[in-house]
Amino acid sequence: MTAATNTKRNLVTAALVAPAAAWLMIFLVLPFIAMLVFAFGERAPEGGYQAAFTFAQFANLPTRAAAFWNTLILAPIGALACLLIAYPVAYYLAVKANPRYRLILVSLVVVPFWTSLLVRTYAWMYILGSRGIPNLLSMIGIEDVRMLNTPGAVLLGIVYGYLPLMIMPVYVSLEKLDRRLLEASADLGAKPVSTFFGVTLPLSLPGVMTGVALVTILLLGEYLIPQLLGGGKVFFIGNALVDLFLQSRNWPFGSAIAVTLVAVVVVVLMVAMRIAFRVAGTRQVDLV
Amino acid sequence: MTSASTNDIEFRSVAKRYGAVTAVSDINLEVPRGAFMALLGPSGCGKTTCLRMIGGFEQPSEGTVFISGEPMNGVAAYRRPVNMVFQHYALFPHLDVEQNVAYGLRQMRPRIAAGEITRRAQEALEMVRLGGFGKRRIHEMSGGQQQRVALARAIVNKPKVLLLDEPLAALDKKLRTAMQIELQTLQRDLGITFVLVTHDQEEALSMSDFVCVMNAGRIVQVGPPQEIYDRPASLFVADFVGKSNRISATVDGNASVRFANGARFSAPAVNGTRGAAMVALRPEAIHLTRNGAASADTLAGTVTHRIFLGSAVEYSVAVDGLGDFLVTADRRTLGDGELVEPGEKVGLAFDPNALHVFPV
Amino acid sequence: MSKWYRENAPITADQLSDELMRLKRGSVTRRHFLGVTGLGLATAVLARQPGLFNSTAFAGDLGTQMSIATWPNYHDPATFEAFQAATGVAVEVNVFGSNEEMLAKLQAGGTGWDLFVPTNYTISTYVKLGLIDELDLSKVPNYDASTETARFTNEGVVDGKTYAVPKNWGTTGIALNSAKIKKPVTSWKDFFEIAMTEADGRAMVHDYQLTTIGNALVSLGYSFNSIKPEELAKAEELLIRVKPHLYAINSDYQPSMRATDAWMTMCWTNDGAQLNRDMPEIQFVLGKDGGEIWSDFYAIPKSAANKAAGYALLNYLMTPENAVKEHIANGAPTTDSRVMKLLPAEVTSNKIVYPDEASLTPLEFGAAVTLTDPGRAELMARFKSA
Repeated sequence: MTAATNTKRNLVTAALVAPAAAWLMIFLVLPFIAMLVFAFGERAPEGGYQAAFTFAQFANLPTRAAAFWNTLILAPIGALACLLIAYPVAYYLAVKANPRYRLILVSLVVVPFWTSLLVRTYAWMYILGSRGIPNLLSMIGIEDVRMLNTPGAVLLGIVYGYLPLMIMPVYVSLEKLDRRLLEASADLGAKPVSTFFGVTLPLSLPGVMTGVALVTILLLGEYLIPQLLGGGKVFFIGNALVDLFLQSRNWPFGSAIAVTLVAVVVVVLMVAMRIAFRVAGTRQVDLV
Repeated sequence: MTSASTNDIEFRSVAKRYGAVTAVSDINLEVPRGAFMALLGPSGCGKTTCLRMIGGFEQPSEGTVFISGEPMNGVAAYRRPVNMVFQHYALFPHLDVEQNVAYGLRQMRPRIAAGEITRRAQEALEMVRLGGFGKRRIHEMSGGQQQRVALARAIVNKPKVLLLDEPLAALDKKLRTAMQIELQTLQRDLGITFVLVTHDQEEALSMSDFVCVMNAGRIVQVGPPQEIYDRPASLFVADFVGKSNRISATVDGNASVRFANGARFSAPAVNGTRGAAMVALRPEAIHLTRNGAASADTLAGTVTHRIFLGSAVEYSVAVDGLGDFLVTADRRTLGDGELVEPGEKVGLAFDPNALHVFPV
Repeated sequence: MSKWYRENAPITADQLSDELMRLKRGSVTRRHFLGVTGLGLATAVLARQPGLFNSTAFAGDLGTQMSIATWPNYHDPATFEAFQAATGVAVEVNVFGSNEEMLAKLQAGGTGWDLFVPTNYTISTYVKLGLIDELDLSKVPNYDASTETARFTNEGVVDGKTYAVPKNWGTTGIALNSAKIKKPVTSWKDFFEIAMTEADGRAMVHDYQLTTIGNALVSLGYSFNSIKPEELAKAEELLIRVKPHLYAINSDYQPSMRATDAWMTMCWTNDGAQLNRDMPEIQFVLGKDGGEIWSDFYAIPKSAANKAAGYALLNYLMTPENAVKEHIANGAPTTDSRVMKLLPAEVTSNKIVYPDEASLTPLEFGAAVTLTDPGRAELMARFKSA
């Protein structure tokens, strides 16, 4: 190969990469740098940002310990609850369902996504509110049950809202699973349960980890569901951020929290992917 | 071979249907203990279905499959004393080579000690000449090596029968020939029954003790390779196993075969055929002579094409009234070692015993 | 559904080609064509993106779309329909739960609002930050400063310049469902006590620092506007103690009260009037220990994209005949004597809307300092995230 073709190839590569790089630069890198700068600044007297260099915002993080705690507890629990429900569903869709109806069934999983989460969460507000399930319970003599605006309602909303995001990657990894591997396992004397734990589960782990990481990361930024189903009482980091930017107008502190959150997300992602790589025994882990 | 104790595999009146589609029917087959049986046929003939019924991945719709005399109806794959080498190996990508081989050992109940598992897995790997590759990842192994891992994994449990589903199809020709020899050696060393599925007639003929030729869901002939080749039971077998020239003919009462161009031959093996018939004649059963005159046992023709194969030469010869004949000639056949040129008149001589006559 | 929607309802192919021909001949206006064919719906949606679809051909005109930022349940939808019928301008309504939220949006920029509804104590800050324009009262001929009650208008004037004109006044009291709560509630002290006992899990406070912290301060005997750290600390202690007993922290409390999910809430006059009108068992009381009296204003953001429409809507709303309809629908008391004269007796005699002067005495207007005080903002955030 000549130097000229090399240069040409590099130019083509650069041209292909440029839009994505520009996109990342404008919508990811620059805002993140702005956020970093804000995080070391001060709140202006009327709100907003004024230049400074201080660690005060980070020192203030413990005042949002409850929000971090709620998020870091409820996000993994939510992701895990999602997984427990999503795995059997994905397994059924990918392995057991009649291939003729599979597409329809998979679409049914995705269809709710066509409706805004806001609308669907409002529906849950009605279902969990006094005129919903508590009303039905009162008919059988169980009075004054309160479901809405509880951590349980938030968890339910999370599982409901994020289930498709968990089902899809697990489904894809199970659907790609070579059926002959299951036959090979049975052939070698493995009972169905052993086959599941020895072959199916490990080989679907990339999908599982993708789903768990996806749902956990999105949950770390969740704000709508705790707001609507938690009545503003169950507070996630997302809610703390909304408050800081939209009520207190404390941009520096909000940025400090956001930067910390990004750091947490990066760590979560790295740990999850490392586990997935190790278990799957290959570097070719598919992100969906 | 009727006693169950001497047969490792036996099919009795087995049929398999998928809805309205019949995959195989009327399968009766016995595989003697320690034999190497090849199931041979074109794709879609049902040979893989038969193999999968032995493995337990399919249940017969009718009839029974026996393994060592035991009826296998309703017995799950994981309870059967057979192991399979899958077509594309089906190795576990998340396990290393040794873990793949040890997989079957780990399923054994009562459990086998970890040290013993390692020892036996190593032993199996050495049998397929992969000692020292145990810690490799599957995707780091070449196609031929993966083939051996699959073999080691399948034999480590010491099955009564080893099932091989097109095991060499993915390998190149040279490697395939080497593996054919290795498989034969392995079978002799292990002394267990092998059932091989293949669409490659050369592979079937070269490796197995018995060939079971299948077509359209039925068994058409079972026998040792030479018998299948020399005495094909049908025109299909004659065509599918090796090459054959097909000649339209009629058979009269005296087992006398008259070709469409009027030539007559007295063929002893007419299989009771009378009237219209189709005759199969192997290309290598024909001898070319340089004088082009027809005689009592010779056809006359003109060479149209020549394909030089090195040790042999293939000629296409146009015979008046009978169309083109394929003739495989040893280079010495013509005495002078010279090749016949296209356009030359030649005579085609053959032993009438080589004519296989089938009704049409 | 609204008339605007009906006008944009689908049309048959025949009608479409007919209208198209009329448009080509010039016998109908473009707006009529868009409205009849339903294309107006699409253009209206696109027009919501400021600057994206603003046709220069209509410069100087009112355009087809404007946006207002206001509070929940604060307008009669018929008002905006009538405004559109009169001017061709569709009004997009955004509602907010706190002045802080409105301020944050304006500070961040790009709101697209042409008119908004700030509360009295915030106006000086908006002026200071240069976020609102001095009003050109010549464009609001229907506003008459002389018929307004000075007590409710003075904060719209900063340094002698009028930046905002009053919409209505009101109070922040307590709404409670008397079918569920039997104990009397007459003060903010009662409110927080009942919230932890009889109305456990059924009481709501605003997602709004001014009223939530202010009323907690009042219940402890302090000023509604206090920013003294030790008093705020006491208020915080109370709020965090009451939080586990609350039903929700939300300024949009009408749905929960109507569903009887919540039995008691901090409540603005107009919501109290609406709730009581529809569900008489819901009562509205003012704290005898204090609370807030307020007036809301109309102002035009400096960043407004369609100021012409903003002024047009403002003038429309300042017309007594229109203001009276708004009043009857939303139940907030008027600041304008012209409107007062037009009101039916059952409104002016409504004690929720026009309470006795004596009950207003303990109430305080919000103070500007509370809007920007970092201590109160942080307290609210800690309370919510606790």
